Amino acid sequence: MVGFDFSNYNRNAALHAQGVPLPKATSTGTTIVGCIFDGGVVIAADTRATSGPIVADKNCEKLHYIAPQIWCAGAGTAADTEFTTALISSNLQLHALSTGRTPRVVTCMTMLKQHLFRYQGHIGAYLVVAGVDPTGVGLFTVHAHGSTDKLPYVTMGSGSMAAMAVFEANWKGTLTRDDAVKLCSEAILAGIFNDLGSGSNVDVCVITENKTTLLRNHIKPNERAQKERNYRFPRGTTAVLNEKIVTREELSKYVTVHELSSDDDVVVVEKMDVDG
Amino acid sequence: MFIARSEYDRGINTFSPEGRLFQVEYSLEAIKHGSTAIGVRYPGAQLLLTLSILTRLSLKQVATSEGVILGVEKRVQSTLLETSSVEKILEIDSHIGCAMSGLQADARSMIEHARVESQSHAFHYNEQLRVESCTQAICDLALRFGEGADGEESIMSRPFGVALLIAGVDEDGPQLYHAEPSGTFYRYDAKAIGSGSEGAQAELQNEYHKSLTLAEAETLVLKTLKQVMEEKLDAKNVQLASTTPGKGFRIYSDEEMAEVVGRLPSN
Amino acid sequence: MAFIHPSSLLPSSNPSYSFREGIKSSAPGIQEHRFSPYADNGGSTLGIAGKDFTIIAGDTRQSSGYSINTRYAPKVFRIGGDDDSGTGAKIILAVTGFAADGNALKERLDSMVKMYKYQHGKDISVKACAQRLATILYSKRFFPYYTQAILGGIDEEGVGALYSYDYVGSYEREQCRAVGAAASLIMPFLDNQVNLKNQYVPGSGVGHDLKAKAAEPLEQSHVEQLVRDAFSGAVERHIEVGDGLQMLIATKDGIREIYTPLKRD
Repeated sequence: MVGFDFSNYNRNAALHAQGVPLPKATSTGTTIVGCIFDGGVVIAADTRATSGPIVADKNCEKLHYIAPQIWCAGAGTAADTEFTTALISSNLQLHALSTGRTPRVVTCMTMLKQHLFRYQGHIGAYLVVAGVDPTGVGLFTVHAHGSTDKLPYVTMGSGSMAAMAVFEANWKGTLTRDDAVKLCSEAILAGIFNDLGSGSNVDVCVITENKTTLLRNHIKPNERAQKERNYRFPRGTTAVLNEKIVTREELSKYVTVHELSSDDDVVVVEKMDVDG
Repeated sequence: MFIARSEYDRGINTFSPEGRLFQVEYSLEAIKHGSTAIGVRYPGAQLLLTLSILTRLSLKQVATSEGVILGVEKRVQSTLLETSSVEKILEIDSHIGCAMSGLQADARSMIEHARVESQSHAFHYNEQLRVESCTQAICDLALRFGEGADGEESIMSRPFGVALLIAGVDEDGPQLYHAEPSGTFYRYDAKAIGSGSEGAQAELQNEYHKSLTLAEAETLVLKTLKQVMEEKLDAKNVQLASTTPGKGFRIYSDEEMAEVVGRLPSN
Repeated sequence: MAFIHPSSLLPSSNPSYSFREGIKSSAPGIQEHRFSPYADNGGSTLGIAGKDFTIIAGDTRQSSGYSINTRYAPKVFRIGGDDDSGTGAKIILAVTGFAADGNALKERLDSMVKMYKYQHGKDISVKACAQRLATILYSKRFFPYYTQAILGGIDEEGVGALYSYDYVGSYEREQCRAVGAAASLIMPFLDNQVNLKNQYVPGSGVGHDLKAKAAEPLEQSHVEQLVRDAFSGAVERHIEVGDGLQMLIATKDGIREIYTPLKRD
């Protein structure tokens, strides 16, 4: 397994002692929840990523794939949740291959806690692990220092208080799939509206014995307001001090240039709404 | 009557049975022994400057030829006295000045107070203190005789023995105020205080009119002073000052005094 | 003019590390106690002066950390009104930063403006009020009000006036200003849309000969739209801005208020 490179540690500590600020990782103030129901488990998350008080991403994905029937909701340092879940996902797949069995949620949880405990909290991943395996339904939380909990309903992240309030008020021992989706969504909404670190949309993932459904942007309660004025500038408004035209012939020296026909599919990585 | 008074004229805060504060009344007497001071507000002809009405700013600066003239007699008792050291007209701020009659030393602390108030207002508000507010500030100080509240130590043992004629200019134009030791003040078109005040006030009453010009006001002040002064008026034993929207408060120089005195009809 | 940056006053937002201090060494067994009288309650305000009006606006969210204290706590106030509702007022004050200090500052300026009227028999001018606010702020030079203020109204010539302050009283009259949490998001928008910075007349020249667009006084309705767009934009990208937008518009006829809801997430 890949390790971390600590060769800059001493240099950075010395620089910090002289007053150089430490680099800041993107911490996702977040609301993530999970709740079991009769025959499956639901996890949900908001979609806001922040950097300090600034919204870095209005529609990020905090529900991570581990295995077809095991998903993870992540809070904390964005990079840590992404790399940790990806790493465990790989290792769990290798484990499944070598054992010839479908991976279990407890196994995933155990691998996560052992990985996080080794790094003594320096890997800032706070996770909700959920899934269905041959032993039944599993729902856990894993903290960055390595502690875990097994509960019928869980919340994590900066919006966990707001979300837990909803669970404590409305959770019942018997829930249908739709009940659980609604309850988890309401818990996330409580986080979105009452916690500044959480916002935008609700993502939900429903896992049952034979089906996993990812409901990306299940609820969109925060659509962008329409601007009252038009902010399109006439062409030529921006000053151009000098320009250089690179012809296709010149460019062909470095890269291969294809002419696209109109019926070719254009790959759109992510579409953003823009005014005008 | 005088006997009855003596029981109530010691405590400065004690009313007589007739409801009088004798020490305050005595302070007014002190002024009656003071040298005469006169103030005249001249409305002037409403001379509109139409030169630059184009811009908004210059509209506000449409000048009128109005102002206030202050005049005092200097009572030169000795030929050895340096008359320039007799200061009975003083500047409070660039737009306010005053003339005094009575105990000059008392006036010093009143004017000092007014100067501080004026500077403080300019510091806090970035604008000049109004003439009425300045007068009010002086009168507030004038009332601080007697015991302080809650038995605190008093700063003044007696009322001031001086009256002031306060001339100034603000957004409402040039104004003339008379402030007394009793803490009351009134606004006047023309006012005389001091030993010759009765005769002078009567003269002002007769001669004042609403279309006085600057030169006429100067002459009126000097002419009136001349009538009530014991000495023969010359450029050394009187002092003039003017307050106008354009130049603010200004004490006349020796040359200007000589010019104005020279204009007086000789008799 | 050097405005003092207020962040040096705040307790560090990251408790583990601070930007200004190195690693602290403290003798074992010695407990250091600190008095931290300031808080940052977030939010943003802005002001734009027009040819016969001034608009000052602010969001109504009050927060601390990741929590919302209330969704409606005004940051924009009428100064010198006849009663608690502020009727008869002609001057607008907006404060961001520490809400308690903002309120204390508002109360103090309001009472001083009222005292001014009693003492001098006239309504205070915006210019005089601006200077008074500066002296109030400077009087607490060594224990400052942790607030960034903007003050607006109509000046003695009938023109919209706007003054902005640092937290110890340095001030300046301006055409427009954004203050508070989202100031760095809104101010460039205002520079571009109000003073037409970085906008040139298309085809007016080549290279450095290109003519910059000249800023002209904006209509009141135009400015109102700009303000709402500025805030609906700030709400998208700043977590401390939201819930509601309060706009106070000073004209010769007095002060009018417009409230617009903002996103609540």
